[in-house]
Amino acid sequence: MAKVTLAPRKGFLSENPSVLRFLGLLTVFTLIVTALSEGFGAGIVSTSFLKVLGMTLCLCLIAVAMDVVWGYCGILSLGHFAFFGLGGYGIGMWLMYARTEGIVRESLANAPIPATEGEVRDAIATQIFSVVGSTELPFIWGFAHSLTLQLLMIVLVPGLLALVFGWLAFRSRVTGVYLSILTQAMTLALSLYLFQNDTGLRGNNGLSGLQNIPGLLHLPQSTIALWFFWASALALGLGYLLFAWLVSGKFGSVVRAIRDNESRVRFLGYHVESYKLVVFTVTAIVSAIAGALYYPQAGIINPAEIAPITSIYLAVWVAIGGRGRLYGAVIGAATVSLLSSWFTGGGAPNIDLGFYEIVWTDWWLVLLGLGFVAVTLFFPKGIGGLFDYLVRKP
Amino acid sequence: MPLRTLIFRALACVALAFAALPGPARAQDALQPALQAFAEELASPSRRTIESVVTALIEGGQPNIGEFLRRYSAREVVQRPEDGLFFYAEDAGDLVRLIDIDSGATVAEVSSRDVTQIRTNSGVQRVIAAALVPLELNAPERVRRAAALDAISRSPDASQIAPLQDSIAREEDATLATRKERLLLLLQAQFSEDRAVQLAAIEALGGDISIEARGVLARLTATQTEVAPTLPEGANIARVLEVGTDLTEAEAYDQLVAAGLAEPAQTPAMLREVLAQNIVDGRVGGVPIGRLSDPAARIEAYEALEAAGTVPPRAAPDEAAQAVAAHVFYESYVLDDPEITAAAQAALDSTSQAIAAYQVADLVLDGLSLASIFFLAAIGLAITFGVMGVINMAHGEFIMMGAYTGYVVQLFIPDYTISLLVALPLAFLVTFGAGVAMERSVIRHLYTRPLETLLATFGISIALQQLAKNIFGTQARPLTAPDWLGGAITFNDIVGISTIRVAIFVLALIFLGLLLYILKRTRLGLEVRAVTQNPGMAASMGINPDRINMLTFGLGSGIAGIAGVAIGLYAQVTSEMGSNYIVQSFMTVVVGGVGNVWGTLAGASLIGFLQKGIEWFNPSNTLAAQTYMVLFVILFIQFRPKGIVALKGRAAGD
Repeated sequence: MAKVTLAPRKGFLSENPSVLRFLGLLTVFTLIVTALSEGFGAGIVSTSFLKVLGMTLCLCLIAVAMDVVWGYCGILSLGHFAFFGLGGYGIGMWLMYARTEGIVRESLANAPIPATEGEVRDAIATQIFSVVGSTELPFIWGFAHSLTLQLLMIVLVPGLLALVFGWLAFRSRVTGVYLSILTQAMTLALSLYLFQNDTGLRGNNGLSGLQNIPGLLHLPQSTIALWFFWASALALGLGYLLFAWLVSGKFGSVVRAIRDNESRVRFLGYHVESYKLVVFTVTAIVSAIAGALYYPQAGIINPAEIAPITSIYLAVWVAIGGRGRLYGAVIGAATVSLLSSWFTGGGAPNIDLGFYEIVWTDWWLVLLGLGFVAVTLFFPKGIGGLFDYLVRKP
Repeated sequence: MPLRTLIFRALACVALAFAALPGPARAQDALQPALQAFAEELASPSRRTIESVVTALIEGGQPNIGEFLRRYSAREVVQRPEDGLFFYAEDAGDLVRLIDIDSGATVAEVSSRDVTQIRTNSGVQRVIAAALVPLELNAPERVRRAAALDAISRSPDASQIAPLQDSIAREEDATLATRKERLLLLLQAQFSEDRAVQLAAIEALGGDISIEARGVLARLTATQTEVAPTLPEGANIARVLEVGTDLTEAEAYDQLVAAGLAEPAQTPAMLREVLAQNIVDGRVGGVPIGRLSDPAARIEAYEALEAAGTVPPRAAPDEAAQAVAAHVFYESYVLDDPEITAAAQAALDSTSQAIAAYQVADLVLDGLSLASIFFLAAIGLAITFGVMGVINMAHGEFIMMGAYTGYVVQLFIPDYTISLLVALPLAFLVTFGAGVAMERSVIRHLYTRPLETLLATFGISIALQQLAKNIFGTQARPLTAPDWLGGAITFNDIVGISTIRVAIFVLALIFLGLLLYILKRTRLGLEVRAVTQNPGMAASMGINPDRINMLTFGLGSGIAGIAGVAIGLYAQVTSEMGSNYIVQSFMTVVVGGVGNVWGTLAGASLIGFLQKGIEWFNPSNTLAAQTYMVLFVILFIQFRPKGIVALKGRAAGD
């Protein structure tokens, strides 16, 4: 894979035909789904399935980010779902605030005296936080009234967290397994923090009703789902392009060298920590964006989404798809999450063995776990590795 | 009837007069005549009238009055309608046996319809019980004396001091004597007429951490918050409150309002209310309604109304501040006597020091117990991860397997002690087998790819978890501890620990010793250490690394199984119990220092004590304690990436 070219560089896309192929496939897929969707076309793809597809695209995006940080840079981060969740909370705060504001203003409109801004804010706070026994708007909701500011927070908060955490971890040369455990500890700390009722994000209840987009309440869910599907596809395409560009040039070569032999790169005079930090932070931000697109489609976010196990699942997807190739991550995430919803959603037919009936909702995780062991043992390159057999390299 | 009552009363008075005389005349006095003096009240007792009757009867001093009152209270006394005499009643088949109150002889057996049973309600029973206390304090039976002491501590009052003091000298039972003395102190501290005695009692209560003693002292030092223009002379003031530090200005103003020294401040809600009542043609005080979403416009409107005289004048902005500044806020003791309150405060201070000391002791016990749980959960991992470098994400599921083994054993062996003794080795065997199977089939192939063992064992972990769910269901299964592990060891009102946690601590100690012995003193341990340090060299010395790896992994897994039984005894057995411990176990091993049993011990102690320590600051929020603990671990690894006990030299491996 490593390409060190000294010759004058050709265009990025012409050098990486697989990127073009992927983008083409993604466009075709988006167009077909659109044509079949309820909101726009034939109605063969139901709105709920459209949402599942949209969410899968978001999961593919975070899987691509995970692949860059793990497959290319060698950092097995078990914390990227924390950034995904933070992005979800970021957009969720605005969605919930703005929607509640609409409801509150409507109910106050009939009062004899028009309400002051302070009264509106108090009423919103009471609406949102009465479930955790509070009527005050926590200070972290200070930007929730403005979509622009909150969108900025979606990028800034996970970015800063990744920057600080990464700086601390890489600076003290924590590597390998230890780094994995450290990132897992970070995820655990964050989810424990969010589980508390008094930290201002509604504790166990999480944020809900996120599928209702303020200002677009007159539109049917089928249309909104389609818009989010398009947005997710666009985000995946752009994210893929960004990472493909990032890992193809000299930067990518250094990053891959760090994965293969960190000390040697350091001896060559590269500042390894900075490279790692950039990769870690950029992937964290992309994960947060994926989360911000995912949760409006899911409709609800709570701290359980950030539990350490979800981040391990992310690593599982990437490993099944094939590390070190971006399309592998997409294949892994899409395959496992779609299969997962097919099996757990009761789509798979149960198998009657005569003495025992295999109910897939009960046995899917067993199958997944064992299948995963098999992939690790027998196909270390994952599903993406199959392409190597198809495409003979000159 | 009234005439007869009068005569009896007269007689009773004579009898009582005689009773007051010392000597044999008193001993021979019968109770029945005294009872007849109050026949009417006794026959239909009510809470209000019974008290004086009981007092008079007890003052009469007949020796058997105590027994009578007790049986009267227990509804064992009947009255014969023909002559109005009282008898004790006993069941005799269908009939009622009447027993003479004074002689104890059976008088007659009659149908229960021929006598009137006297029903004492609970109010009456309480009055009698209180009145009986002084008598009961010297009762011959120990149980009755103890019950009397209970009654005193439930409702203490001044009249109990004298009888209690008298009874101490006569008390034979050492435990009860101590209780009586303590109770006397409590009574004296509250009610003694003699100041010197009261002060001495209060001083003696200092350092006593029992809830009763603290309650008495707290009552003596109870304060009330008050406000006045100047600090009043002669009041027993506990402390002066500073506005801004001790209470906010808003609270201070609320107190002024509550004391009637200021008018309630106008809240925004009240302002809106008033404005809404004065809407005229879409305007309030000349201000159009549309503009009233601005707070300044609302004030403008109100001032316009004020100028028109429609509404009372509004408080000036700094009026509240001025009012607060013009008054002094202070806490004064409810009791007026400064000497008493000062003594009680001093006693309470020394008590709080004692309490703090005991709380630290309790905290240490709690921390020790949590540390031993973490240690047990992590020690197996310390072997597989620490010694072999294999990240076993299924370690938590081995813990779960051990717990379910214990549960299944209990299904077959109903005796909890025996089943526990069977379950411990069986859990070891089951998880040892599972560990060996996993090592042989999966991990063996991945020794060169440590990050991938993480993923493969994670796959096994989710498969095992789901399997457990399919077999045992999702609801929690009980793993019951035997009775001898059920209780708690309590040292005093503050320091205590449940026996099961002590057992877990002991188990952790045993494992520490056992593991150190295996690793340092046995052939297997030697070979394990050799393979860990340099597999190639070990192999060329004739050690079979495959076999050693298999056995080491089995050992680590087996210990996880035993830990599972121990953890299952105090927590619930669910398919997810393992995942609750896995992250913490990894942190324990990493913080302690990889590859070292002592390191795991250090890590478990640090994390256990730290978590309990943080919990101490905010006991209601264990989640916050866990959060800060994990944050601490993250920071700790920054500064000591190799853990507390870092291996040096050849043993370090890299």
